[in-house]
Amino acid sequence: MAYDGNLPAPTFDLDTYANNYQGALLPIRLAHISTHCPSLSRHALSSAIDAAKQGKDVQLYARLHDIADRLGFADLAKMDTAWASKQEEANRRELSRLEGELRGYKNNMIRESIRMGQDDLAAHQLSTGGPVPDPNDPHSQHTSGYNAAYQAYGKMRDYCTTPTHIASMTLRLIYTSLLQAVSSRQAGGSPTMYYNTAVSNAHRIRTIGVKEEEMDRLVPIMNASLGIAYLGNGSYRDAASYLLSTHQDYATLGAVHNTDFPRMVASGNDIAVYGGLCALATMDREQLLTRVLGGPFRFFLELEPHMRKAISLYTTAKYEACLNTLRHYHADWSLDVFLGPHVDLLFARIREKSITAYFSSFSQVSLSSLASTFPPAHTTSSDVQHAMELEALSMIQSGTLAARLDVVNGLLVAPRTEARAATHADAKAAADEVERTLLLRLQRVNAVVAGLEVPRGKGGGAQQAGW
Amino acid sequence: MSQDFIASLLEFPPEKKLSNKEYDKRANDLIKHLNKQSDSAWVKHLNKGSILDLLNPSTNSLPYLYALVAQANNAGKDRARRDEVLNRSAVFFATFDPIQVRYAGSVFYDLLTWAFDAYPSLEITDCSPLTTALLRLDPTGATFTSSHLRLVRLCLHQGVPSQALPILDKNITAYPQTPPKNLPEDYICDDHAHSNAFLTLKSGFTLHPLKPEWLLEYYLLGAHVYLGQRNFPRARLFLEYLLLHPTSGAAASGLQTEAYKKWLLLGLLAQGKAYPLPHTHSQQVMKSVKAVSRPYEALVEDFEKRAWRKFQAEADVGQGIWQEDGNTSLVREAMDALLRYRVLDLQNTYAALPVSRVAAHLELPPDYVLNLLGSMLNQNYLSAHLTTTTSDPVLHFHGSSTSTSPEVNDSDSLEARSNRITSLIAAIRDADRRLQLTKEYMDVQKRGKRGGAGPDGDLADQMDLTYDPPIGGLGEDEEGEGVFGVGGSGGWQGTGEEDIMER
Repeated sequence: MAYDGNLPAPTFDLDTYANNYQGALLPIRLAHISTHCPSLSRHALSSAIDAAKQGKDVQLYARLHDIADRLGFADLAKMDTAWASKQEEANRRELSRLEGELRGYKNNMIRESIRMGQDDLAAHQLSTGGPVPDPNDPHSQHTSGYNAAYQAYGKMRDYCTTPTHIASMTLRLIYTSLLQAVSSRQAGGSPTMYYNTAVSNAHRIRTIGVKEEEMDRLVPIMNASLGIAYLGNGSYRDAASYLLSTHQDYATLGAVHNTDFPRMVASGNDIAVYGGLCALATMDREQLLTRVLGGPFRFFLELEPHMRKAISLYTTAKYEACLNTLRHYHADWSLDVFLGPHVDLLFARIREKSITAYFSSFSQVSLSSLASTFPPAHTTSSDVQHAMELEALSMIQSGTLAARLDVVNGLLVAPRTEARAATHADAKAAADEVERTLLLRLQRVNAVVAGLEVPRGKGGGAQQAGW
Repeated sequence: MSQDFIASLLEFPPEKKLSNKEYDKRANDLIKHLNKQSDSAWVKHLNKGSILDLLNPSTNSLPYLYALVAQANNAGKDRARRDEVLNRSAVFFATFDPIQVRYAGSVFYDLLTWAFDAYPSLEITDCSPLTTALLRLDPTGATFTSSHLRLVRLCLHQGVPSQALPILDKNITAYPQTPPKNLPEDYICDDHAHSNAFLTLKSGFTLHPLKPEWLLEYYLLGAHVYLGQRNFPRARLFLEYLLLHPTSGAAASGLQTEAYKKWLLLGLLAQGKAYPLPHTHSQQVMKSVKAVSRPYEALVEDFEKRAWRKFQAEADVGQGIWQEDGNTSLVREAMDALLRYRVLDLQNTYAALPVSRVAAHLELPPDYVLNLLGSMLNQNYLSAHLTTTTSDPVLHFHGSSTSTSPEVNDSDSLEARSNRITSLIAAIRDADRRLQLTKEYMDVQKRGKRGGAGPDGDLADQMDLTYDPPIGGLGEDEEGEGVFGVGGSGGWQGTGEEDIMER
């Protein structure tokens, strides 16, 4: 886990923030804040521990105390061992009861009962954090923790008799994989696999075949979770596209199949921020105007007016103001579990895009004026121009900026395109290509027609040019 | 030697114009007559001198040819007589009547063969009479004969590769075949659009059967010549002919391997990266060819990464390999080209920069870089200029479009390209016709009919060969469209090939 966080205090109030969420992700979110933002660290961690104590997950509780220990909060680090052992005992008893019931159902061979028994068992695994991995057996990793819950949910598949059952199972699978992803990242692992699982599960929703009115409730969740999963894997363009298609009902959806996505995973406000940033980083001005500001996504943007403001600033070419607005909320967004690891990347992309867009209206721009419009981050004033030059160079080399650098005069020069000459050259190249291809194929056909293939085997074929 | 004999030779061609049918009959009669004469009849000295003095090579081409061949065979090792035959043959090659000669293919071939042997032994370095002869017989040069290969070999042997260019520059659009049976035969004196109508395997103009390795060798030697001439597109075409040459099964010719190695290096020289493999390559052939070309592929990889030092090191290590393959100079040229491309790459990023920074990018001393830039500018590799007012000279790259004056010469214009493609289409139609006359094609067609494809048959088999040449004089845009139109009709080749593959 990263303990190097030194983010400034965010603009939101921690308690209000915490009120927006519930479920296993809440303590994880709070733990993320506590490890990244020193000023809120203590407050966040104690709320997280409180939240964890409400639940049944003793492992999570222990992990939070571990964090407290490392952050140096001696008082928070002291565990309520009595509660922990009591809860652990209760969990164990509940688990064996559920397993016994499930065995009974299986003996009776009633599918629906088995399904429900499996569901209860999985839900229990999820809420208790699953079995503790055996440190001596590396294979136990796959069947412990949230993996156990995921597998238990997966076993429901054989006993689902209606599309609605499948839908409910799929939602749980998505939720579990997102949870796995976040907790795996927090534990220092790679979340990619879990996000991929979430993506493939979410895509399945489309083909389940439930009734239309039920589908209307599922699709927003599908789009939102696809967006989050793509965001988590760094596919910002896909993420933007799915988040933007999320229907506004998502924010007021409530629980679907006992899973309240907006409260348990990401709220409408989160969707607005994720979608807005991804769109800003990947779409051009035209798309931003029609799909983001002008489309149904506007509803979400109303929840986060500063995001809307940033986007409209970008579309009106006020790049500096746009970047400043974004920077103002940098801390807020970095403290989000899903968005946090990607904020800096997204900001860098938006900055590159802004520079490209800004430059597109000039035939040449001096590096110093570019640097004053887009002040390079983390540099002293003396080498601003040098930093700008390096940034411009890397953008040119990566192909994002169509320009050339005049090092001597400190200018960025736009490539001159001579449409006529270029078209001419293109036509010539195309004609040459056609001619060459025709000749090559003609030769081949001729050789076959005349029976002049290189023969099989030894003789003839491998002769060298003899004189 | 009677006057009658001479008179009988001079009878043909008659002064008044004949129909093709009549002409064909008379020509064949003459050939029969000529074949009946013994060798001695042609060699005998008449009262004034050689029989050749009495005949005009441009009108009495057939008797002249017979006499010349007989004298050539009779000349033996006698230097003076060989020189005389040689001189007369040069005159004959430049003036003969190509229609008449069509009737005496094997005799003409004998004369050419004699000349091919005589030129090196007499140490004659002007091979142009032979080129002229081939092009006079077939101005399109489009049908391959064994003499094509002999000529290119001769030119290279005599150290005058450029003299083979008139032949090499003609595209081969057909190989001689046995004329199909049961077809109403055209007269060979007809005005044929395609030279393969009279340059058949039976005509005697070429050794038969042709061997595939001759073709491969012809193209490989041609590629050598073009490489020497720095005609990279043409060299590429010739090497790709080799790469795409059909093979049975996984067999690959050693010549194809050689071609692949050169083709890799050529791509580096010509465009700074390896050429893309043509779509129709055979994977099996490429597999076996690539398996023995690893060192070259390593060079290509370094080149494309612009890793100059690594390229240099590998070129040094592999010296034995290049030597063995005869590619040492190509590798060295590629090494020079790599430096040039590293400079050229800079113009994508920079509009102007001091030479010291160029040197830093190239990791070479500035003085050396300054020299390099100077030579690149002189040889027009680089569109840029140097300002040397300050202590550190500055390199200014010009705009990205290098050639500002459009249509420098005729062969470079869009119109020329369009014309070339139009004539290619005609050749393709002809190849298609020949394909449809093959037994295998008929078998496939029959099977298709039996399979119940119906009276309409398989639509895919009906190749769309309609192509309207672009309307001239309407400006370049029209031509551009014409070009793309051809691109579309190029599709038939694909279907044509599939037919062949099916068998």
